Amino acid sequence: MSAARRIAAREIRAGFRNGLRGFRVFLVCLALGIAAIAAVGSVREAITEGLTREGAALLGGDASVEFTYRSAEPAERAALDALGRVSEIVEFRSMVTVPRTEGEADRALTEVKGVDGDYPLYGDLVLDPPGPLGEALAGSPPGAAMDPVLADRLGLSAGDTFRLGTKTFRLAARIETEPDEAGGFDLGPRTLVRTADLDGAGLLEPGTIYETEYRIALLPGADLDAAEARLAAALPDTGYRWRDAREGAPGLQRFVDRLSAFLVLVGLAGLAVGGVGVASAVRAHMVDKTATVATLKTLGAEGRTIFAVFALQIGAVTVLALALGLLLGAALPLAAAPLLADRLPVPAAIGIYPAALGQAALYGTLAAALFTLWPLAKAQDIRAAALFREAGSLPPGLPRPAFLVATGALLAALVGAATLLSGIPLLTLYTAGGLLAAFAALLATAWGVRRLARRAARLPALRGRTAIRTALGSVGGPGGEAASVVLSLGLGLTVLAAIGQIEANLRSAIERDLPQVAPSYFMVDIQPDQIDAIRALTDDPEVESVEAAPMLRGILSEIDGRDATEVAGDHWVLRGDRGVTYSAEPPPDTTITAGEWWPPGYDGPNLISFAAEEAQELGLSLGDTLTLNILGRDIEGEIASFREVDFSTAGIGFVMAMNPAALQDAPHTWIATIYADEAAEARILRDVAERFPNVTAISVRDAIDRVSQILSGVAAAVTYGAAATLVTGAVVLVGAAAAGTRARVYEAAILKTVGASRATILASFALRWAILGLAAGLVAAVAGAAGAWGVTRFVMETDYVFAPASALAVIGGGIVLTLVAGLAFAWGPLAARPARILRARD
Amino acid sequence: MADDTILDLDDARLTLDGNAGPVEILKGVSLSVKRGETVGLVGPSGSGKSSLLMVMGGLERATGGRVSALGHDLGAMGEDALARFRRTHMGVVFQSFHLIPTMTALENVATPLELAGRPDAFGHAASALDEMGLAHRRDHYPSEMSGGEQQRVALARAAAPRPGILLADEPTGNLDGPTGAAIMDLLFDLNARHGATLVLVTHAPDLAARCGRTIRLEDGRLAPDRQAAE
Repeated sequence: MSAARRIAAREIRAGFRNGLRGFRVFLVCLALGIAAIAAVGSVREAITEGLTREGAALLGGDASVEFTYRSAEPAERAALDALGRVSEIVEFRSMVTVPRTEGEADRALTEVKGVDGDYPLYGDLVLDPPGPLGEALAGSPPGAAMDPVLADRLGLSAGDTFRLGTKTFRLAARIETEPDEAGGFDLGPRTLVRTADLDGAGLLEPGTIYETEYRIALLPGADLDAAEARLAAALPDTGYRWRDAREGAPGLQRFVDRLSAFLVLVGLAGLAVGGVGVASAVRAHMVDKTATVATLKTLGAEGRTIFAVFALQIGAVTVLALALGLLLGAALPLAAAPLLADRLPVPAAIGIYPAALGQAALYGTLAAALFTLWPLAKAQDIRAAALFREAGSLPPGLPRPAFLVATGALLAALVGAATLLSGIPLLTLYTAGGLLAAFAALLATAWGVRRLARRAARLPALRGRTAIRTALGSVGGPGGEAASVVLSLGLGLTVLAAIGQIEANLRSAIERDLPQVAPSYFMVDIQPDQIDAIRALTDDPEVESVEAAPMLRGILSEIDGRDATEVAGDHWVLRGDRGVTYSAEPPPDTTITAGEWWPPGYDGPNLISFAAEEAQELGLSLGDTLTLNILGRDIEGEIASFREVDFSTAGIGFVMAMNPAALQDAPHTWIATIYADEAAEARILRDVAERFPNVTAISVRDAIDRVSQILSGVAAAVTYGAAATLVTGAVVLVGAAAAGTRARVYEAAILKTVGASRATILASFALRWAILGLAAGLVAAVAGAAGAWGVTRFVMETDYVFAPASALAVIGGGIVLTLVAGLAFAWGPLAARPARILRARD
Repeated sequence: MADDTILDLDDARLTLDGNAGPVEILKGVSLSVKRGETVGLVGPSGSGKSSLLMVMGGLERATGGRVSALGHDLGAMGEDALARFRRTHMGVVFQSFHLIPTMTALENVATPLELAGRPDAFGHAASALDEMGLAHRRDHYPSEMSGGEQQRVALARAAAPRPGILLADEPTGNLDGPTGAAIMDLLFDLNARHGATLVLVTHAPDLAARCGRTIRLEDGRLAPDRQAAE
């Protein structure tokens, strides 16, 4: 065993005998950071595993084939049947109407699911009262099962009747569990009926927006890849969409991945905050060890031996912190499993996931190395002569160049690992850059505050005000706590401030901006022969305006003859089908940014006007040829113009518009937006529903509420993540406050000796903490606002508005937190007897 | 107690809690010090000299007996009352200087004057530093000064409020011979010029010899020779 290791072993033993007193903040900070990341990672893995395990049940079959707005042709159905047992599902939105007395009726939006006798192929549909679905849906009038939320909203009990379109159904049961419901974004709760019973309801007319899915239970021993290839060969160019159980809920998986990646970023920010505590703890430890280091040097130890001794000691504590953090991170999801199961929309397979824990351990190790290297490197520069002086700090200046390079390498490794592993590389880099900038801003502020305080302490006006002057002297003088307090609190508050500002902006974007311009109703499935009557609603004095446009749904499958996803990647416009419209003239107030709209009466080759921003993202140019698969048919067109489309107004906005001749003969429906007084909305809905039972009206207000609800859930998850950061920040702050206790006990003893009362000393302590809290809060508010601006502007692509309430809360919180932490440690200095303190220093 | 008695101890005792149980530091000390007197407190290490000085200054509370200064019973005074008493009547100098590290020399010296509400505390503090030959060090922090300079600042701080009592606990213990001698000259000079009572704890026989009276402590008690002398 080398000398360094032997000495290190003795140091480690001494540390443990001492109850790791100097390392508690180190342990808590590092363990908390690691635990937060490990817990988030474990939950993500649990959801992914749950989705994989339950993939077939969530999808409703081993594979699912979807045709947009049409059913499979007999030949297509035959090809599907050849793969295994097939169940057909039809889904669309409609209105449930419950007739009341005297022509009055209650109405609510619903997502109708039409099923056949084979549904569900996998999983169990649980009904209340319990019983087989077939029995529930049988009878006359035909039975239906309904989401309890919808049944309660409409006051329906088993046996009551209601209408879908023009047809009457009987509520047979409430749906307790729907196996293939992955908790996606649904505007209306579920109503489940037999597809055959929808005949004559007027709801599945040509052009109506509905989805037909064919769930397939493959023949025993069949392979998914082989089945997919076989269907592709049998049905070329039919525009179907294939999904299989390997990815049962891709949208949900994407959402969970994004949210957890974001939470990991918040966790990394927490680790950075904890890193400040770690660095402070190691620095304080090395200052404590100055005499030991100087003695070892006197006895002939070289700098590298000193470094090795303490690196081994810190390494041992890091291993302990890692173990604690991983244990906590793995245990938290297990402990919270029942709670998580209630909150999560999917069955999560909560368990221990080594990959998630490994990732957290990697981040933790790199962060520990990064934040301990500097003080360790400085410690080896302590000179033997330090024995003869009072040591209050480590040697000034930068560490040796090799350590600077190593610090840079560790930082690069940490940021690199996060960038590679997070799944959101750009946002990770922005976050890392933001944190570094905040770090620099806080250091600069700490420096500035010290300079200012030093100057202010000498102001003639403050002479005679001992409490203020000693407070300023403490903040500005040598060995003060300004840097560690401002950094530890400031970084935590910056993360909170940024999240607060982002959340406030999200809320204001939804709650304030949108309703000012949003229509009352969005009406879909309007048949061409009904559109004139809908337009005529403008005759109603309480209707401000009606906008209408024909709508077809199409998949943008090819760009210039090449597969669209190959050309433009995973853009949202290419995900699934998009609305396509046609129009002889550009919609009112449209700005054409390039090219020209087709002339009136144009009847040449198909032309397309494409939304400008999305075209730029997809890399499209004027003259490009696009292939759209509409109702199974490929329609080609050339891009003739780009135009500005604002999707944020909740009005009618189509990515793609074509000349009328291209589309008007295809079966289609119209959509309309109705702008009306809020007070008249219910009456208008009643009128439209009475006259056009097939038309589905979506209340924009309800939709916005639903979006707000979902965003609130996301905001809550992020806030929980940020709370972990704040807890870490608070621990660091408490650590900083505790670390300064000895200095303050000494200061108080001297002040008492020269005649200061405890009130004067307490006022001085309170003031210095308030000054530091204010400084940290101010920087955090500014840095957080800057970060939020970046996220709002570049990630959310909305305008940023400064939220003063959130900023003030951060500044106030900063002051209160520092005051509480500081004053919690004030009793010791105030109570200490000067004689003992001062003599202990002699 | 005669009118010119400035410090009076009657069977003063001090017992502190140690790891191995209570430790008796002072075992019943009775003495009085007169106004303007210079008293050297001597004795072997651990005899209780410094503790006795702390008890005299109200920095440590006697656990038995009675300690009074200027006719005030220090045992009956609260922590803040003791602090207020010291700010006007007592100056204390320590072996390790004990300057506030976050304050400059001038600020350190001005602090007791400010606390006492003296007008122009900084002017007085500057004069006190000038007297100590430290005019050029006013704006320096303790960490930027030598040990001798720091002790002169501590001396200026103790003397600036013109206290009636100066307590010095081995003020030259951390200084080299010539520097220590210079400090002692300053201390005795202060005593001579301002008529302050000086109680000095020291190991150095020559310093003790400069005092008007020497009191010897042994194992927490006054040594018999001193008791005899008294």
